[in-house]
Amino acid sequence: MANLLTMESKTQAQLTFADGCKDGFPILIGYFPTAMAFALVCRTMGMKFYQAVLFSVTNFAGSGQFLAANLIGGGALLIEIFISVLLVNLRYSFMGAELSRNLAPGIQGFSKALLAHGTTDEVFSVAVLNRKPITKEYLSGLELTSYSGWVGGTAFGFIVSSALVPALQLAAGVTLYAMFSTLLAQEFRQKGILVLVIAGISALLNSILIILLKVAVGWSFVISMLLSSVIGALITAKEELN
Amino acid sequence: MKEQSLFVVPILVSALATFLVRALPYYIKIFDHLPKFLSKCLRLLPIAALGPLIFPGVLLDYGPRFYASLGGILAAFLFAYHKRGMIIPILLSILITYLLLL
Repeated sequence: MANLLTMESKTQAQLTFADGCKDGFPILIGYFPTAMAFALVCRTMGMKFYQAVLFSVTNFAGSGQFLAANLIGGGALLIEIFISVLLVNLRYSFMGAELSRNLAPGIQGFSKALLAHGTTDEVFSVAVLNRKPITKEYLSGLELTSYSGWVGGTAFGFIVSSALVPALQLAAGVTLYAMFSTLLAQEFRQKGILVLVIAGISALLNSILIILLKVAVGWSFVISMLLSSVIGALITAKEELN
Repeated sequence: MKEQSLFVVPILVSALATFLVRALPYYIKIFDHLPKFLSKCLRLLPIAALGPLIFPGVLLDYGPRFYASLGGILAAFLFAYHKRGMIIPILLSILITYLLLL
């Protein structure tokens, strides 16, 4: 009971910049090794330090960046890079719609552009699933913390790339998955079995698309996410999930 | 100079594409007056996103030793189901994965 009351008051209070930083910390930890891996890819391609960092500073997108790096390495045309990256990152439009809908009105111009630039899968999941309503201070903290993990990881990874202990590097690769697994468990506890059904369907679809049908990772993610949320909406057509 | 355009220009093109899809919903409210069913789909997106963010990546990344990462995320799931917080389940899962990889 006491627990319930604390939870209640916590969700009622205005979310601050510090709350955002705190919630962003696991993302920072999760991004760091992935960004280090990305830096390794950049170094192998022959990029300079500043180019790898510029990549992460201006793109800030996990799969989108890996894809772009792949295309650049393969000598793709600029238009090919533009269209592929646009498609792979199309999900950010849906996520941004949900995020900006939850935000209090009154955010203008440049700060709006900055907030938009910070949209990622992980930021979106944590912001939308963990706490409501989202404030711009909270989102800034969340995004800035995640961003520093990504950019910092790229810089650090470029410098140390070959010196990492392989075993620990491999184990740290589980971090992002563990984060999603944690989010899934929290959703399951709060909203019940339907959460596992919807996530299970999308996981299965994604596995089939990638392993059996050899669909590109970005596309597969978009397809399975969209299909499964439609299926979920059909299942819950009569009842409310929230 | 040649080397700069070799990488810097495509990096910026990729950045522009990424920024456009991110900024679109912040400036044009095309997603605000959607039919009820569509907005329900949008609300389910974050849950639907969790599945493909975990699978099959968590298995493929570890190849034949997929049991290590699977054990790691299962530990995180079970812990997080019973207790609030994110950092402990994540650290726990790194530890379990590390031990299973030994």
